[in-house]
Amino acid sequence: MNNLKLAWRNLWRNRRRTLITSASIFFAVFFALLMRSLQLGSYDHMYKNAIESYTGYLQVQHKDFWDEKIVDNTFPYEPELEQQILKDANVEAAIPRFESFALASNGPQTKGVLVMGVDPEKEKYLSGVLDRMVKYHLSPEAIKKIKLDAGIPDKVKELLSLFENSAYTNAGRLQLDLGISDQEAPGLMPDIERYCRFDNGRIQMGEPGVWVGHKLSQYLKLGRGDTIVLISQGYHGSTAAGKYEIKGIVKLPLPDIDNKIIYLPLDICQTLFNADGNLTSLALAVKDNRDKAISGTLERIQGLIPGDQKVMEWREMNDVMVSQMEADNKSGMIMLGILYLVIAFGVFGTVLMLTAERRREFGVLVAIGMQKKKLASIMTLEMFLIGLLGILAGALVASVLILYGVDHPLIFKGEMAKMFEDYGFEPKMAFWPIDTYYIWQMVIVGIMVLIAIGYPLRKIFRLKVVNALKA
Amino acid sequence: MDMIWKTAWLNVWRNKVRSLVVIVSVSIGIFGGVFAVAVMNGAIEQRVDAALNDEIAHIHVNDPAFRDNYDIKLLVPHPQQVLGTVRETPGVESLTSRILLTGMANTAAKSAGVQILGIDPPEEKEVLQLYKTTIPGTGDFFGEDSRHYLAYIGHELAKELNIVRFQIDQEVLDSLAAKGVPGEVLKKLSPFSGQRFKSEKSFKKEVKAVLSIKEQHAFGAVIRGEAWTFRARSKMTLTFLDREGMQTGAVFRIAGIYDIKNSMYEMSQVLVKKEDLAELAGIGRNDYHQLIIRLDDLESTEEVSATLRAHLPGLEVLNWKELQPDLAMMTEMVQKFYAIFMVIILAALAFGIVNTMLMVVLERTKELGMLTAIGMNKKRVFNMIMLESVFLSLVGGVAGMIISQIVIGATARKGINFASYAEGLEAMGYPAHIYPAISTSFFITVTVLIILTGVLSSIYPALKALKLDPAEALRTE
Repeated sequence: MNNLKLAWRNLWRNRRRTLITSASIFFAVFFALLMRSLQLGSYDHMYKNAIESYTGYLQVQHKDFWDEKIVDNTFPYEPELEQQILKDANVEAAIPRFESFALASNGPQTKGVLVMGVDPEKEKYLSGVLDRMVKYHLSPEAIKKIKLDAGIPDKVKELLSLFENSAYTNAGRLQLDLGISDQEAPGLMPDIERYCRFDNGRIQMGEPGVWVGHKLSQYLKLGRGDTIVLISQGYHGSTAAGKYEIKGIVKLPLPDIDNKIIYLPLDICQTLFNADGNLTSLALAVKDNRDKAISGTLERIQGLIPGDQKVMEWREMNDVMVSQMEADNKSGMIMLGILYLVIAFGVFGTVLMLTAERRREFGVLVAIGMQKKKLASIMTLEMFLIGLLGILAGALVASVLILYGVDHPLIFKGEMAKMFEDYGFEPKMAFWPIDTYYIWQMVIVGIMVLIAIGYPLRKIFRLKVVNALKA
Repeated sequence: MDMIWKTAWLNVWRNKVRSLVVIVSVSIGIFGGVFAVAVMNGAIEQRVDAALNDEIAHIHVNDPAFRDNYDIKLLVPHPQQVLGTVRETPGVESLTSRILLTGMANTAAKSAGVQILGIDPPEEKEVLQLYKTTIPGTGDFFGEDSRHYLAYIGHELAKELNIVRFQIDQEVLDSLAAKGVPGEVLKKLSPFSGQRFKSEKSFKKEVKAVLSIKEQHAFGAVIRGEAWTFRARSKMTLTFLDREGMQTGAVFRIAGIYDIKNSMYEMSQVLVKKEDLAELAGIGRNDYHQLIIRLDDLESTEEVSATLRAHLPGLEVLNWKELQPDLAMMTEMVQKFYAIFMVIILAALAFGIVNTMLMVVLERTKELGMLTAIGMNKKRVFNMIMLESVFLSLVGGVAGMIISQIVIGATARKGINFASYAEGLEAMGYPAHIYPAISTSFFITVTVLIILTGVLSSIYPALKALKLDPAEALRTE
């Protein structure tokens, strides 16, 4: 305790230096925490988007389907097996799907699309496709009506052209894109919402009809009520072709999927591909999505299903995205590494000066009988206190921002948003709450101090009292 | 003034160890920052380069509504006249015309949605260098005279359609042995002998399962290279809608396979001869959907686009910045990002410099008092301290930049391979084999920033020095 007191007092003998050194550590810790929080938050957000709007955490598939996504690699949908899977403690729901590729066309416009046969009722456990229905659409007609409304300020009207044909699943994003503040919203939004409201019809098992991704509908120049033609290859090489009415438009957060997805009722889709009763995948909604729980569930389900089927995990199914995130993660870590290296040298510089300055003091202390060990431990404590000050201050300030950011993710607008979408990402950066990455910053600063401390300790243990006193 | 510069320089070296700690930290910080920037910059330059030279060229001309949904009927009106106008526009180096259709590519097992480009091979070679990326052994860029229809496709599509496959047989094992792969590894691979893998993914997975991590790193690439097989004379069917909206198609033989490390492009763009496609789709011989233009000088992009727009009313003229706004914006945004990154590093360095300079001032209290007492004015004291700080950071900075230049030069020749992230990077169009590169102007910017850091971090210590009372200072020990 006494040592700690001494170390603490020593720190404030040269207040400026202590503060500057702590400030440098504060700076690094603050940046590192904020950057990690943003990176981890964004990865998690993107994974969740991919998992929740598409793959799910686990899927049961025919063992060859993933490598060869053809209709022949499907498996029969057996309710008994589904019941058994549902008995698993971590499985919330089993969502049957039939997905394949097809050529979609509307007159001369054609495009390769992803056809998803789904049970709309069951999808709510996973992709929540019902929540992704387009509610507002800034169509040219809607824009015309808004422009004619004298009650709407010009600054809103100017923004309209930038967002022509944009679709929204909630009013919040629409308000944001149009630059309307929360104070103005009650006065303006009801009118704007009325002008651009978009109504969707439902798709139901047994009834032919499709939902189309917003971007795809724009490309094919199709709207609700229009007819779309799907051509593909069915079971055992048969021809698959069908004509369906578009009942609604969905907007998915992943632009790469939004521009090619078509939802069909599961049974209608199976009929289209001449594969009645078959599934390409049975996606599982889980209660606990932590890695350990997922891999446990995977093993249990694998034990239940026949040998020609297998269970796939989200990481495997989103391997490209996982690889992108890993590359980004590594580059971020390298940058922080450089930053910490620079700070480490700063800390070392401080230690160097401290030692040189106090050589004579050390000499006196040892001469009057202070043990070198005790002196060394005081010195060590001093350095750790400097480190601790920096970490605490950095963590404190960063935490305030991060805690705020967790509930208020950064949402990009305008051109920035466009660029994110061009790269296939949602224009949104989320923060990751306080987590183990905090501990890492402490470990790094701790190691930094430990290395720096080596120099003065060596000096102390090799101290020749006579020489030191003369300094 | 000369005197001050000299004194400041000599002062730097009075306490060598202390100065060296600062100098080394500055040089490491600068090296780390500059090199990291060079790697990112290299990747982006390669991306832009590939986009301009292999994928899109500089300017596209087409019907204003064509790009909305690639309607087959939206051909360029007066094709010959437009061609002539563009050819005579100053600044245009070469041009070629294309037919574009959306369709499906099928092989026995698989199918994929693709964009079919009907091109004129000799002209295309003048405008784009895609032909140079042909994978050796897979054929060439429509060089062969064939009675079949020919298609030139991307590596990713070839893998998807099982035209490129992975297999291990005795021959593969023998040539692996000849390449110095140890018997132990070969033994692990031998159970696969005679096996054809369904896809690259399953190949990777199965091979990974039997090899240790170390073996994967050492021999993974060689094994993959040897197991890679291309079925010569492979065929695929292309189906699309013709001008009348009727479904049509034909069997195409693979002329060659290109590899530009951009999976999205490789997956979707299929090149065929324009005359073949025109005949199948019922389009006239001289008609086309789009003109692809290459300029003499990239810098004249805006100028030439404006001229073309004036000469070609009723047609859409788009340059690469408009065609791929993300590319232009990426370059811009990344430059800002580089600057921010360097500023963060320099700010971190500034803490060390401030501390050291503060020490310098406090340690020389008596000396500074003496200098003031004998008539050195405050401005010169201030300048001296500031210069000392600038020298300190500049020596470190220059050392750091020299090291960066050497390391960049050394790595730029062979490049750095981030193979483990290839899948993710190539999906975004970025290469995984990166050649670090940086412009000279970046070094100038960094130098300015370093000097600025030196100046800024000397202000507080220098002010401290000014506050010294000469009489008081002389009395200190």
